[in-house]
Order: sequence, then structure tokens, then C-alpha cells
Amino acid sequence: MPASPPRWYGARVPRIAPYAFLTPAVLLFLTFFAVPGGYAICISLRSAKVSGGGIGVREEQFVGPETYTRVLSDVEFWAGLGRMLAYAAIVVPVMLGLALLFALLLDSSVARARTFSRISIFLPYAVPGVVATLLWGFLYLPTTSPLTSLTDVMGTGTINLLCSKAIYFSVANVAVWGGTGFNMIILYTSLRSVPSEIYDAARIDGCGEWRMARSIKIPLLTPALVMTVLFSTIATLQVFNEPMTLRPLTTSISWTWMPMMKIYRDGFVNADPYTAAAGAVILACATLVLSLTALRLVQRRAFGEDR
Amino acid sequence: MSTVALSTPTAAGRAGRPGFPGTGHRNLHRFLATGVLLVGALYCLLPVLWVFMAATRTREELFSSFSLAPGWNGGLWENLRDLNDYRGGEFWRWAANSVLYAGAGSVLSVLVSAAAGYALAVYRFPGRGAVFSAVLGAVLLPQVALAIPQYLFLSRIGLANTYWSVLLPGILSPYGIYLMRIYASSAIPSEMVEAARLDGARELRIFRSVALPTLVPGLVTVFLLQFVASWNNFLLPYVMLSDDRKYPMTVGLFTMLNQGANQPALYSLVIAGALLAVLPLVALFLFLQRFWSIDLVSGAVKS
Amino acid sequence: MRSKKLARTAGVMFLIGSLAACSGGSGSAGSQEGPVTLSFWSWVPNIDKVVATWNSSHPDIQVEVSKPAQGDALTTKILAADKAGNPPDLMQAEYQTLPTLVTNGVVADVTSHLESVRGQFSDTVWSQVTFGDKRYGVPQDIGPMMFFYRKDLFAKYDLLVPTTWAEYAATAEAVHAKDPEVHLGGFSAADPGWFTGLVSQAGGSWWSFDGTSWGVRADDAAGTKVADFWDGLVREGSIDSSAWWTPEWNSKLDQGKILSWVSAVWAPGVLSGSAPKTGGKWAAAPLPQWRSGENVTGFWGGSSTAVAARSKHVAAAAQFAQWLNTDPAGVKGLIAQGSVYPASTSGQSSPALSETPEILSADQADFYTRAEKIAAGARAFTWGPNVNVAYSAFNDAFGKAVQNRTAFSAGLRSIQTAVVADMKKSGFTISER
Repeated sequence: MPASPPRWYGARVPRIAPYAFLTPAVLLFLTFFAVPGGYAICISLRSAKVSGGGIGVREEQFVGPETYTRVLSDVEFWAGLGRMLAYAAIVVPVMLGLALLFALLLDSSVARARTFSRISIFLPYAVPGVVATLLWGFLYLPTTSPLTSLTDVMGTGTINLLCSKAIYFSVANVAVWGGTGFNMIILYTSLRSVPSEIYDAARIDGCGEWRMARSIKIPLLTPALVMTVLFSTIATLQVFNEPMTLRPLTTSISWTWMPMMKIYRDGFVNADPYTAAAGAVILACATLVLSLTALRLVQRRAFGEDR
Repeated sequence: MSTVALSTPTAAGRAGRPGFPGTGHRNLHRFLATGVLLVGALYCLLPVLWVFMAATRTREELFSSFSLAPGWNGGLWENLRDLNDYRGGEFWRWAANSVLYAGAGSVLSVLVSAAAGYALAVYRFPGRGAVFSAVLGAVLLPQVALAIPQYLFLSRIGLANTYWSVLLPGILSPYGIYLMRIYASSAIPSEMVEAARLDGARELRIFRSVALPTLVPGLVTVFLLQFVASWNNFLLPYVMLSDDRKYPMTVGLFTMLNQGANQPALYSLVIAGALLAVLPLVALFLFLQRFWSIDLVSGAVKS
Repeated sequence: MRSKKLARTAGVMFLIGSLAACSGGSGSAGSQEGPVTLSFWSWVPNIDKVVATWNSSHPDIQVEVSKPAQGDALTTKILAADKAGNPPDLMQAEYQTLPTLVTNGVVADVTSHLESVRGQFSDTVWSQVTFGDKRYGVPQDIGPMMFFYRKDLFAKYDLLVPTTWAEYAATAEAVHAKDPEVHLGGFSAADPGWFTGLVSQAGGSWWSFDGTSWGVRADDAAGTKVADFWDGLVREGSIDSSAWWTPEWNSKLDQGKILSWVSAVWAPGVLSGSAPKTGGKWAAAPLPQWRSGENVTGFWGGSSTAVAARSKHVAAAAQFAQWLNTDPAGVKGLIAQGSVYPASTSGQSSPALSETPEILSADQADFYTRAEKIAAGARAFTWGPNVNVAYSAFNDAFGKAVQNRTAFSAGLRSIQTAVVADMKKSGFTISER
């Protein structure tokens, strides 16, 4: 066999291999994302109307952008959008900041109780959502909350964590509590893949732990950090589970508190998949714009020019 | 324990920090670092603690005693026994379903993600950017919007209300592909691949024998995260399934909370069920975490 | 572009799918000869035992029961399943969702199959399944509203059972004055079914249908009367306004901080789960009236057994639905196994209803006899084709009103606006009144 040219782009560069590796993912993507997504876009342009006005049967028909106009002119939708941005501004920095901090601490040799902390911080992600309403009901509602016992002892008034002033932080708390472990694990695993020779060399040069974290670990973590920021932002813009969990507990959260809740209500409660689809498309576009901008800014830095 | 050079600073290192008493400074760092970790850990544990405590309380005690107080009247045993009796042991069937969906789904997901991530990281080919953007695009339309269209589609091909209807849509994980791409980028240098090629190995063999072993910590992470996500997934099985014998624990426990008029909501049983649902995840985590300690190059265990 | 791809892919999949069509599913593919198998979605507890009784005596019509979800969630699943082409043959449908199901073409008109059981239900109950002179299901259970109170605590605070709403308001103020931690009862901004039951007691109804067009009056006199009544009490603080069905509410009930509950005949079961420590301490009374001496109430909840329009065995399914809800064996099973309060008049005096619920005190042995009398005075609410829209509008509007301490009647106007807008969007004719 002739020796290949000593360059990366040799004559034996495999042509079909990458496509072969990607086939399962692409097939699944087409089947479960592209086709249903296309369907959702289709029905966002349709609606079901009754002919005859009385108790007849609704029939699906094309209505064009009528649904979009209705959704975009709904004041509540924009209010929800604004709340979503404010909420994301709280949650994403806090959650990722904590995840980064914990990951760095776990990876350093300075801290003790690492295994215990690792599993403890991961645990919230493992708690099933079905008990979340019960759980936070017990912890947040004034009558049953341990916080009330504390404030009783201290003599200050009862704090209602679910009143409209505190609700953002209460919901954000649930999200941060549940999501930090997930992101921490990702960052931690990234750190673990760094060969220890790099740290050895740094230590020999006199680098302390904190300096090492700042100058070596964080830069090495950039791809993973970018990824977690991106996905966390997208997930937070689509926030749904946390406010839905707390909604039965308080009057501070309406069905339109967050855009995704409105989409769920339209699709699953009001039996109106058309409005839900239109809302989902609008939200997806907004998320796309925000995340593409962010990605473009950092993509080159994250993944490098070539490998 | 790792080799000596790693964990203790050398005299040269210490000498590089004039003005600080060496040991005391180190202890302060240790105290602060451990303290921060413990505060975070305890804060995360508190609500989980509630699940434990509430599961040990009897039905009568559940709403009438302090939220975080454990029950000493045999509540845990009573709740577990009632959970077992509910509809003739239905809970265990739901648990088995959860194991199937999460286990099989995660294994398949890891394989698909690893293959895709590897391809995106190692090869240059036309369409690479498009694929990457498409994966990102998959995240933009959330499950809430896709669930019903997916259900309608699967109904068309006769797969609705089957085990496949929950397994198949859950395999593709954009997150997993991204993660594997990052791990592959950093853990598999091009020289490694090129060297294998020069040795005459075919691409699939390179992937299997050279890349996968190197990627083990990343594979473990993706497996763990995907397993937990599937285990706790509610919306997908809820929409796809109408035969309640195929339900995973999440949906099953949900139906126990919403029993219908004139039936008491089975709070204690649901909490006991949730406790049982968390334990396997803890065990899995404890079992898998050793894979994160493997030094990629030397194969030795890092401390 | 995408729709072309969609069409092409769907076409291929459909081809594959039709080859694989035998797999899975709720087989109503039985031939005309041989036993018919019907699928039934219901959330009544232990319904499978009741169905087993039918199956053993009807080998030619076998019913397979499944419990996918309850209430509104089941309606969503039914609509999705119908859209996919495989709804269950039989389904449990709450009265307020029937118009939604009818206008989506999901349920079959079974009027002709129900002639024989015409006399089994009162006219009020029939009205809950009748739309435009056609019947779409067999009524299964009803929830006539009643008043439940803590007998021991009423004695402790020296209170009389209120028979009118004016007395209720006065009692609420008195209780709260005696002990600020205690409330007579509560108001829920998240239970529109409760509110509509009270509105129908006051003589109102949000929708009306005259055969060709709809009327919508969420803010009529009756509704405003009820809204203002509770508004006043909540603002004064004499009524508890914390959310129901939460640990906090359960805790308050358990510890006697809430003395009574305006609820329906099925309350005892709920109270056993929410306030298990209060067993044997509750008593039941008729709902307070607007005019002294009347015996009027409304319904909170209740469901029927409906047949799918796409079912291939409508007659057989209707036969089962009738058996379940009127045959003594079926009704007995529903009561004994499912703890259901039957809609049929004979069912309401069934011997299976002899056991007093444990949450009630021992002197309440005649609970079900009194319930039957109360049920006889129930007024029906006319349901419209978009009840869920109205309900979620109620949640938001009244939630906001409680939060911001604004007028509840303004909430009714929001509901009115939302319902009318949605109905117009769907093409319904609304007669302005």
C-alpha cells in the first residue's frame, strides 16, 4: 500500500465515513424534529372553524397569517416575553456562575468533602417533577414552610415567598436549584479531560490553585462554557416546568406568565393547537435570533479554526 | 492517591508567595473552598431531604407536623406497603417501564450522539455547518410544541401507544451531540486518528478502538444525563401512551395524585414513590462517577 | 418547501405504516361475526372491576378499560387520538367538555339508542348531555353542591349552620372576629367549576343556545351577584383566600383553621385525603340559599359515558354505556368500587349508598338520603363549545383580582371578552343580547 502523503488532507481522506456516522442522528432528526416541526408550522397557518354557527362540527381550513396577527397583538404575550427576558437575566448568570464555581472547586485539590458535595449538588436534577409541586408547596407556602418557623422564632413577620413581589426569585430559585448540578457535571467532566501534565507544569512554575483556575482551567473550559451558556439560555427562554409547578400554589402566576405556558395552555388545555403552533414558531424565531447572535460572537473562539 | 507532585505544592511554589505563612494560607483556602461546597451541597439537599422526611410520615402526620420533621410511627413502612398494594403492584410495573425507557434509550442515545459528535469533531466535510445548525435548531422547537405532531405522526405509522413511541423520539439528544463533539475535539488529537489511518485501520475501526475508549468520561456523562432526563421525562410518555400499564413512574405517580372526584389524593404514596424513583439515580451516579477519575493519557486513576 | 418535504415523507411513512398497521392498538377491528371488543377510557377508581362484571355476562361484547388521565387531561388525549384516527370506543366525558367534543366531531349522537332509559334520569341531568335536541352520552355521575362543616368546631365557636348566604357572611365575620387565625371557609380562584355551580344556583348560566346561535353572558346579574358576594368576604379577610388542593390548605383543614367547605356530594372522599386527622368530625347540610326556604343548588363536576363517532360499534358501545349507568349491577359497582354518586334517580336510592363516609360524624347516617333531596333541586348550567377557554380565563382573571384586590366582577367581564372573542374566531354565531 503506498504511503499516504504526510498531510492531514491526504488522498485517503474518507468521503462517506462522516455521513455514515451521522446517518442515525440525521434520520432521527428528520423523523422526530423536522417532520413534526414542519407539521407545526403548517397548522400554524390553519384553524378550525364551524360552518353554520350553531352546534356543527369544526373543520380545519387555511387561514394564513390570521393566527400570527392575533398572537402578536395580544398584550399578554408581550408581557410574558418581557417577563421571560427578565427571568433569564436572573437565572442564567446565577446558575452558570454557581455551576462553574462548584466545578472548579470539585476539580481542585484544595477542597474537601468533594464526593459528598458532588452527589448532593447533582441530586436536585434527579428529583422527579411529579412531586415538585408538593415539595415546593411545603417549602414555600407560609403555613407549612420551615422559613415561617424561622421567622416566628426571630419575631419578624411571615414572609410569603409566593407573593407577586417575590415570585420571580422563588421561581428562579427552583430553576437554579434544579439546573446547577446538571451544568456543573458537564463543566466538571470537561475539566477532568484535561491531562494532568498541564497542571504539573503550572505548579512547578509556581502557580497557586486560584491562579491556575483563572488562567488555565477557565480558558480550557471555554467550549463547554459556551455550550452550557447557549443551551441554558435557550432552555430558560423556554421556561415551562418551574412556573407550571408553582402555578397551582399561588395566584401570582397566570397562564400567560411565560410564553411557553401560554403555548401549553393553547395546545393542551384550550384544545387549540393552531394558536399553540403559531406561538411556538414565534418563540422559536425569537430564541433563534438571540442564540445565533450569541453563537456567532463566540463560535470561532470556542471551536477554533481547525483541529 | 495520585503521584506526589500533584497535590502538595513544592517548596518552590510556596516560596513564590512572599509574606504569607505557608500552611495557614493553605488551610484558609481549604476551609473556604470546602465551606462554599458544603453550603451549596446543603442548600441543594434541603428540599431532597423533605422527600425523605415526608416519606417517613404517616398519612395523618403528613400535613399536621413540621415540614422537615421525620415520622417515627412506622410511616415509611406503611407508605411503601400501601404503594405496593395500589392496584395490585402497578407501581413496580411502572418502575420496570422506567428502567426500559431510560436504560435502552440512554444506551442508544449515547451511541448516536458519540457517532455524530465524533463525525462533527474529526472530519471536514460539506454540510458540516448545516448539520451543526440543524442540531441547534432541534432545540429551538421545544417538546411542548412537538409532542402532539410527533404523536400524530407515530399514529400514522401505527406506533402510538407502544413502547417504541416513547423510546424513539427520546434517542436524539442535541445536547448529547454537542457534548460529544466538545469532548471529541479536546480528547482526540488529529495525530491519533492520522496515525491509525496510516496503520491501515478503517474508519469504523478507528472509531471503535481508538476514539471510543478515549471518550469514556464523556460517554459516561452523556449516559448519566440522558438517563436521568428519560427517567424523569413526563410529557413525552404522557402524550404518546394511553395504556396505563406502559406508563413510566413519572406519569403513573401523576395519575395517583389526580384520582378523580371523591377519591383522596394519595399524597403519601406519591411521595414514597418519588423517593423510590430517586434512589436508583443516586446509585447510578455513585457507580458511574469513578469513570470521571480516569486519567485519559496514563489510564491511572486521578485523585 | 417544508410542506413538500412533509408531504413526501408522510407519504412514504404512510405506505410503510399501512403495511405495519396491524401492530398495537385498541382493537376495535372485530369482524361482524364473533365477539366485539370495545376500548373504554375512564378514570373512575376500580372501574376495571365493574367492567369485569359486564364482561363475564356479555361474552359477545367485551370491554377493555384503560386509565390514561383524568378530567381535562383526558379530553386533550381524546382529541389528539381522534385526530390521529384511533379514539377509544367509549370515554368518560365530563359534562362541561361535551360541547367541545361535539363540535370537534368526536362523539356520536346516541339519541336513538337511549330511548329505553329515558325515564332513568331527571330532565336537569339529561340537559347536561343534550345539545340541540340530540343526546351525546349517558349521564354517569353528578356533583350536587352541599355545605360541609366541622360539627365540633361549630359547637366550640357557638355557631349556627347558615341557611342563607346572608347568614353565611355574618357567620364568617363573627368567626374571624373571634379568632383571626380561623376562617369559616375559603374562596378559590382556581376552581371555575365551583364558581359556575354557584352561579347556576343563583339562576345564571354563562352560555345559552337557542338552536341556531349562542348567547354568552358571563357578567349577567346572577354571576355578578355571586362574584360580588365573595369579593366582599375576601376583601374583608373573613374568608381564607389561599389556594386549594395545596399542602397549606390541607394543613389548615387538618388543624381546624378552616371550619367549613362549600363543596359537592363527593367532598367526603377528598377530605379523607386532605385532612385525615379530622375523621368523624364533619357534618353535611344543604347549600346556603339566596332566598330563605328555597332548596336550590348547582352542580360541581359530573361526567357521562360517551361513544366515539369513529367507533365501528356504536350500538354495542351504547348498550354498555346504558348498562354501566342504569343497570342495578353496573350502578352498584360504580358506587361500591368507584365511590361515584350516580346520576340516575334509581341509583341515588341504591342500597349500595348505605355506608356513611368516615369523614362524617356518626349522626350523619342519612347523608345520602338528604343528598338525594338536595340533588332534586339542582339547576343546570348550559355549557358552551369553549369551556376550557372560559376556565383558563377565569383562573387568570380571578387570580389577578385576588392578588391585586380588584373587583371580581371585572374578572367576569374579562371572561366574557375572552369567550366571545374565541367563539367568534371559531366561527360560532353569537346573538348579542
